[in-house]
Amino acid sequence: MYEILEKPANKPFEFYAAYYPPIYAGFKAATIDELIEGIKKVDGFSIFYHVFHPLFSSHVVPEDMSNDFATWIRDELGDRLLAQKISDIEGKEPRTVENVREDLIKILSEARISKTANKPFYFITCKPVVYNTGRVAKSLAEFIDIIASISIRSIAYHFIFRRIIGYEDKNDFSKWIEDNYGLTELSKKLSSLDPQTYTDEEMLREDLLKIFEQELLSK
Amino acid sequence: MIERFSEIIGENELDSIFKIAEKLKGLSILHVNSTPAGGGVAEILSKLVPLMRELGINTDWKIIRGDPEFFKVTKSFHNSLQNGLGELPQGSFEIYRKWQEINGNELDLDYDVVFIHDPQPAGLITFRKKGKWIWRCHIDISNPYQPVWNFLREYIQKYDSVIISSAVFARDDLKNPQFIIPPSIDPLSIKNRDIPEITVKRILYKFDLDPGRPIISQVSRFDRAKDPLGVIRTYKLVKKHADVQLAYVGSPASDDPEGEIVYRETVQAAGDDKDIKLLMLPPNSDLEINAFQRGSTVVMQKSIREGFGLTVSEALWKKKAVIGGNTGGIPLQIIHGVNGYLVNTPEEAAHYALYLIRQKDIREKFGKAGREHVRRNFLITRELRDYLMVATLALGA
Repeated sequence: MYEILEKPANKPFEFYAAYYPPIYAGFKAATIDELIEGIKKVDGFSIFYHVFHPLFSSHVVPEDMSNDFATWIRDELGDRLLAQKISDIEGKEPRTVENVREDLIKILSEARISKTANKPFYFITCKPVVYNTGRVAKSLAEFIDIIASISIRSIAYHFIFRRIIGYEDKNDFSKWIEDNYGLTELSKKLSSLDPQTYTDEEMLREDLLKIFEQELLSK
Repeated sequence: MIERFSEIIGENELDSIFKIAEKLKGLSILHVNSTPAGGGVAEILSKLVPLMRELGINTDWKIIRGDPEFFKVTKSFHNSLQNGLGELPQGSFEIYRKWQEINGNELDLDYDVVFIHDPQPAGLITFRKKGKWIWRCHIDISNPYQPVWNFLREYIQKYDSVIISSAVFARDDLKNPQFIIPPSIDPLSIKNRDIPEITVKRILYKFDLDPGRPIISQVSRFDRAKDPLGVIRTYKLVKKHADVQLAYVGSPASDDPEGEIVYRETVQAAGDDKDIKLLMLPPNSDLEINAFQRGSTVVMQKSIREGFGLTVSEALWKKKAVIGGNTGGIPLQIIHGVNGYLVNTPEEAAHYALYLIRQKDIREKFGKAGREHVRRNFLITRELRDYLMVATLALGA
């Protein structure tokens, strides 16, 4: 197994990264019905922003709630159970923001809350600013080393953003590993991580590295 | 100079700034505002512009000119946008238009990207010849005096994008994209950098404060929006239980005629309590402010209205537990129960101040969380990167 780590890839992996400057989406919600309306109306980037962006610890959410909707429901509408349900929606591959949107609407539509919040939920969307980090992996060994040290923005871009927004049906890491090395088991294990449930970026990196360690180093 | 931030924000963060700046190499950027010094905007631009230049972007900073009549008008605009009340000098709109025209004809505005800061120069958009124009609004425009907003909106709608400091300031009656970019502090400035403990003590003693007893402080103008009377009441409630001192540290604001009145009201409310220090420091007393924040047991920013309240970030950066008013941009900075407390009344403020005075371990825990929160979100490097990104998106680069 160790030989494969040094074997040159057919196509090196170029690491890009992205920031997502927030933009007001043009409306807010003070009730569950307005929240549902908003979720129906916003673009996919907005769903990404509110549901997946909290992964970055610079986007402050309490650690027990993994997305903005859940935090608002708990803090402003006072419904802890509903907040937990919304926090735990699935974002695992091959789901996209559209699947997430459907789940959100379904769960919220079943809720019975008539309360009006003092502080509304402000819908925010975003536009990605993508840049080339200049780092390139020519082998699996280099790939692992780069994942361990590169900006989490790069990991999130390749592992979450492109797939969840629907640009690709599989995360870039799994795709590259499969295309270049045929390691389907490793690829599948990476795909099975659900990024939606993370509220600490470094934990996601750690879990990715654990999979590499188990699949490539310890055998 | 920019490399000096590396040990604070990390190499990856710094690298991202260089990489995004590469997209703007060879392009020209202009910032325009109404004053070269004094106030938060000038403070931010004095850092931001050199950093942008250092990144290889041709960046200039220009100041509009005007007579006292014009600045009286723009001050009344500023107030009416923030407090929703309209007390405008006669002929305000004509005076505003006249000075936009004078500045528009005098200033070279031929840049690839132009950032216009605040309402004072907003009308310059009429003189755009080329480039992408972005209006950066540093104040709360969520509840404006409608005639003033309607007047300015005619100009603002012509911009390619708008930048606001918090989503709570967003407007539903603007069609241009409203980017949300909070302001920031410079961790390397005299006001925020580490200073020796003996310097902190020296300054506290100088102003007759005892570093050996708990100190509650608020660094703010004497402005009703900052609730100085609420701060005095908070102190008096805490004083019933603890041997505490209060330092309210302000500076005179020549453009704020109410400052003197509010100061007198505060003096009256303070009475003859020797443990209350109401201080009027000269502008640019950065070292003193640094020392007051560091020397405090609890820092307050008990505003009842607030643009953003960067004094909160300043105190959090110094690992202080902060009690802030639940308004404007303060809730972005204070996460209730994580790095401080958000309050609505002096009674609430007093409750948490007393708790924090008693609980050193909680203060330390909050202090650590607060510094990390500021490190990740409210440092000048993040704001620099945000400006670069907005310019990049505006240009489609």
